[in-house]
Amino acid sequence: MISRVAESCFWLHRYVERAENTARLLRVNRSFILDVSLPVGDRWAPAVIVAGEQDRLPEVLSPEAVDDGELVQDYMTWNDNNPVSLLNSIRWARENARTIREVISLEMWEAVNELWHWLQRGPGRRMYSGDRDAFYARIKAFAALFYGVCDNTLLREQPFDFMRLGMLLERTGQIARIIDVKHHAIGPTALDDTDSAIASAQWLALLRSCSATEVYFKRVRESPKGATVLPFLVLEDGFPRSIVHCLARAWEFMQRIR
Amino acid sequence: MAKSGPPQAQSQSVRESRPLFAGYAPPAGTYDEVFLPSGEPRPGVGLAVELLAELGRARFVRLQRLADATLLKGGITFSVYAQNRGDVERVFPFDMIPRTVSAGDWAVIERGLIQRVTAINAFLSDIYGEQRILDEGRIPRELVDSSAGYLARLRGVRPPGGVRVHIAGIDLIRAPSGEFLVLEDNVRTPSGVSYVLENRSVMKRAVSGVFAGATVRAVDRYPDKLRKALDSLAPDRLAGDGQPGRMPRLVVLTPGRFNSAYFEHSFLARRMGCDLVEASDLFVHDDRVWVKTTAGPQPVAVIYRRTDDEFIDPEVFRADSLLGVRGLVRAYARGNVTLANALGNGVADDKAIYPFVPEMIRFYLDEDPILGQVETYSCEDDRQRTHVLDHLDRMVVKAVDASGGYGMLMGPTASRAERAEFAERIRKNPRGYIAQPRVELSTCPTWIDGVVEPRRVDLRPYVVTGADGTWVLPGGLTRVALTAGSYVVNSSQGGGSKDTWVLGDES
Repeated sequence: MISRVAESCFWLHRYVERAENTARLLRVNRSFILDVSLPVGDRWAPAVIVAGEQDRLPEVLSPEAVDDGELVQDYMTWNDNNPVSLLNSIRWARENARTIREVISLEMWEAVNELWHWLQRGPGRRMYSGDRDAFYARIKAFAALFYGVCDNTLLREQPFDFMRLGMLLERTGQIARIIDVKHHAIGPTALDDTDSAIASAQWLALLRSCSATEVYFKRVRESPKGATVLPFLVLEDGFPRSIVHCLARAWEFMQRIR
Repeated sequence: MAKSGPPQAQSQSVRESRPLFAGYAPPAGTYDEVFLPSGEPRPGVGLAVELLAELGRARFVRLQRLADATLLKGGITFSVYAQNRGDVERVFPFDMIPRTVSAGDWAVIERGLIQRVTAINAFLSDIYGEQRILDEGRIPRELVDSSAGYLARLRGVRPPGGVRVHIAGIDLIRAPSGEFLVLEDNVRTPSGVSYVLENRSVMKRAVSGVFAGATVRAVDRYPDKLRKALDSLAPDRLAGDGQPGRMPRLVVLTPGRFNSAYFEHSFLARRMGCDLVEASDLFVHDDRVWVKTTAGPQPVAVIYRRTDDEFIDPEVFRADSLLGVRGLVRAYARGNVTLANALGNGVADDKAIYPFVPEMIRFYLDEDPILGQVETYSCEDDRQRTHVLDHLDRMVVKAVDASGGYGMLMGPTASRAERAEFAERIRKNPRGYIAQPRVELSTCPTWIDGVVEPRRVDLRPYVVTGADGTWVLPGGLTRVALTAGSYVVNSSQGGGSKDTWVLGDES
């Protein structure tokens, strides 16, 4: 296939995965800070650090903005100066999709095109203001539809291989960053068996950020703590959102491409 | 033919839909595509009216909205250069009332188009070869030499199969007499066929019932026919890539996603099952064209290129072009790659050459032209220019190498200042302009804000030529001037389109 097209396939999926992760992260963080009372500085800063925006956000908005949940969410969702904002991820997903129309199926294109127009033209903003949770859920639903259509309509050829590779690498990076940040936030007692209420809630939130809550409890019959959650998210090959699983599948796709 | 009862039942259904058409009044002296001056539908083309009668007004409105949403969702858009807003993509407005052409009318059009494209191909071969038609004085030599589209350096280069116009878009209008006339030829990079295919798709989804009963000729063979034609003209020595059983590689070359017709480039590549490439994906080595793939460079045999001559090779033409492939002309001159359409076709759709096409038909084919043309004045000729300048208020003046409705003066509706300004342009560059008395284009019922009104239309059929001959897509793009009183149908000037129905044989 055309090299440039392969690159677009790769990035299309990276951007979709990125958008979904952003939505999930913000949604989980919202409910998390309602469960646990944290110092103001610890509420939203971790989410900004996961996104890698800890330097740019204070510049674009203000140094205090990182403590304001509404400002952070707005920045992470809509801000044009934020290269990893949800809006920009969808924008670039769509631009990549547009240049490889001949490779993706019509339904994949329509899914991302529809979401873009929904975000750009007002209905998205209204839901964001009126029902924040539903807004983030919509992004998640879009990703599910997008991957579902991709899996169910595309020929298993190189374009598909590059797409999955992109998605898996992005997912790996996102998981690693989420773990890393939460690890710092939770502190050096990470791997202790410390069962404090806050620590427990934070581990639970970490699991939710990775959509791993129910599968964790199925597999590990202990309450979440460092010693059980981290190995699960890193090493559990049977879990599609573990680092090992993603890297192993990414490696398989790279072999196929070769 | 649609299931029609005895004449009485038919007029009854027309009467039932009459409220939609009440007050429908085409301008005097104009041929209306659907209605006779008496107000009755023309026999044989009342399908559109029956369609509306069947649907009823409310349902029709819903279907129009559905069509618009489908087109937006599918990204079936074009970009407008003149407008300067953030969102540059626009859906090409689609009107759900189709335009119908009878089988009899179409038979004449088809023969006329094949004749015309054959003659133009012969002209181009001659101009870039022996130039017999110039030697015999049938066309003034200076006219060809001074044409911006004439590439003298390519004289002597014969493309594979001798075909230069692989795809032609010939614009037709219907005069008040009902006769179809050729308004203009487009043999460089004619566009619009993707809208023909997508419009038909939308119509079928919306009004499948009507299609079931009618014999409207299908349009979806176009990509297949085009692919076969292009494959048939691959350079001999590259056929098969040297590998037995392997098809020569065909690509569609696009200037990129910011080009106004990008959707169409992508659409055709998809439907033909070949790669869509940009200039940066290609390179020339050893006077052959290669494409960068994940399996390394691969040879390219045929390029359906939608990039203009001017930008296509910075080594030979515009050096600042980022849309071109350095060395492409070398590869082409050596016969190592087929370009569709060939380089240098601009001389044939130069509007100053257009008046001579009937001459080409007589000279190369020894036949009389089947399709007439619009009376045209060449501003370069002193006597004709004087006539044009004296009657500017009645003329449509066009720049000879323009397209898309740009560079045009609509004399009858222009202001004095606009006419004066154009008169100056003509005097400064007489070779650059032609003028035609404004023709009363035919009108067609069109849905305008909930009311059916007459709007002027033209027709652009598409003609494909391969090694085995020439094929005409049944129908083509009917463009409609959506603004009341307008004669300008181009998308960039606020036009829209309709589905075009060519009826099958009555049997």
